[in-house]
Amino acid sequence: MYGDLANKLILEAKRTQQLVNTNASSELPMFQEEMVHLILKEVSQLQRNAEFLKLQEEGGKVSKCQYFVTMLCMERNKRCLLAYEKVRSEVLASLAWEHNGMEFFSDITGKTQDSGNLSHYEQEYLKEYSQLVSDMKTGDLIDVDLSGSLTPPSDVFIDVRVLRDAGEIQTEYGVFNLIKGSQFFVRQADVERLIQQGYLQKL
Amino acid sequence: MGYYDVDEILAAGTKFSCKFNYDIPGLGYLEGNPGRQLNKNAKIELPLWLASVLAIVTGDQEHDDEEALPFVQFLSPEMFSSKVVNAIKSDAPTLDVHSISGQFYTLGIKWATLFSDVELAGVINKMLLERALEINRHASSVSVDAGVAPSDSTGTLLMTLDEFEKKLYKETHDTYRDAKLWLSRR
Repeated sequence: MYGDLANKLILEAKRTQQLVNTNASSELPMFQEEMVHLILKEVSQLQRNAEFLKLQEEGGKVSKCQYFVTMLCMERNKRCLLAYEKVRSEVLASLAWEHNGMEFFSDITGKTQDSGNLSHYEQEYLKEYSQLVSDMKTGDLIDVDLSGSLTPPSDVFIDVRVLRDAGEIQTEYGVFNLIKGSQFFVRQADVERLIQQGYLQKL
Repeated sequence: MGYYDVDEILAAGTKFSCKFNYDIPGLGYLEGNPGRQLNKNAKIELPLWLASVLAIVTGDQEHDDEEALPFVQFLSPEMFSSKVVNAIKSDAPTLDVHSISGQFYTLGIKWATLFSDVELAGVINKMLLERALEINRHASSVSVDAGVAPSDSTGTLLMTLDEFEKKLYKETHDTYRDAKLWLSRR
């Protein structure tokens, strides 16, 4: 009956939620384009039903009941679609905060490995949300790195080990020559970004 | 309990058996045979999101002396039958809630609200309290080393939790673990 498809979509949303909760860096699974399309088709069918019922309005409890059931089915479908999209958009927002806000704000494309899994609208949303984040950071609060690490700093200087070759990297505070396996004793504030990006490992 | 809450939506999709109070033509698809009318007193399984509204909305009064009946009437579900309530009363902590329903608490709250069922609310309240103690006991005995599987008794307990309790367990467990990690790294 109506609403069964939406149920499937919600199960998918639940799975997505669990996937994201268990390993934080996981990518978003594929957008269920076909299922969403089918649900939308069901909604338009329900809408035609509702309009038809309205035309042959003769009042009474029968048409009232039919109308109610139709409306409730539509409402249910709407709720499921919105919840599914909300789950995904929350993941996208956290992506925008955690990964797109790096040092030089290098271009967004390529940062999300799963951009193929996003629907067209979601890609647009992600782009615009990242823009909003960067706008906020370059506004009045420019002195604070809003997308920086949330763990409170405990040491001024730390030891780091290079995990990936990156050649010479110019940061705002100086030049590092990152050769795999080498170690540095540096100020934490300088290398925080490189740790986030996965070039360095804190010791 | 939000509009976008996935668990809540899943709970609202649970089917309950209901009885129709009127003949309604054109609604046969609820029963699985479209094109026919839905007969009065037909017993069908309806999801909660549909049934909870239809059980409140009333049809028109046919005669003035009669009270208007709602479109559908809930039949008392297996989930809250006296058998289950007795099982809860006797030994809540070892009860396998997950086998009754994955969304037991959410549905219990909805049901108790719908019918102002004070007794059921009391039973569930007490049950949650007793089980929460057990959950806390299991969640607090965490080992700091990552990759150590939970003990057997915890594993069996986890299988019997409903979705709400699983969330509770996970959050308690993570809190204890993080606190322990922080203390040991000082």
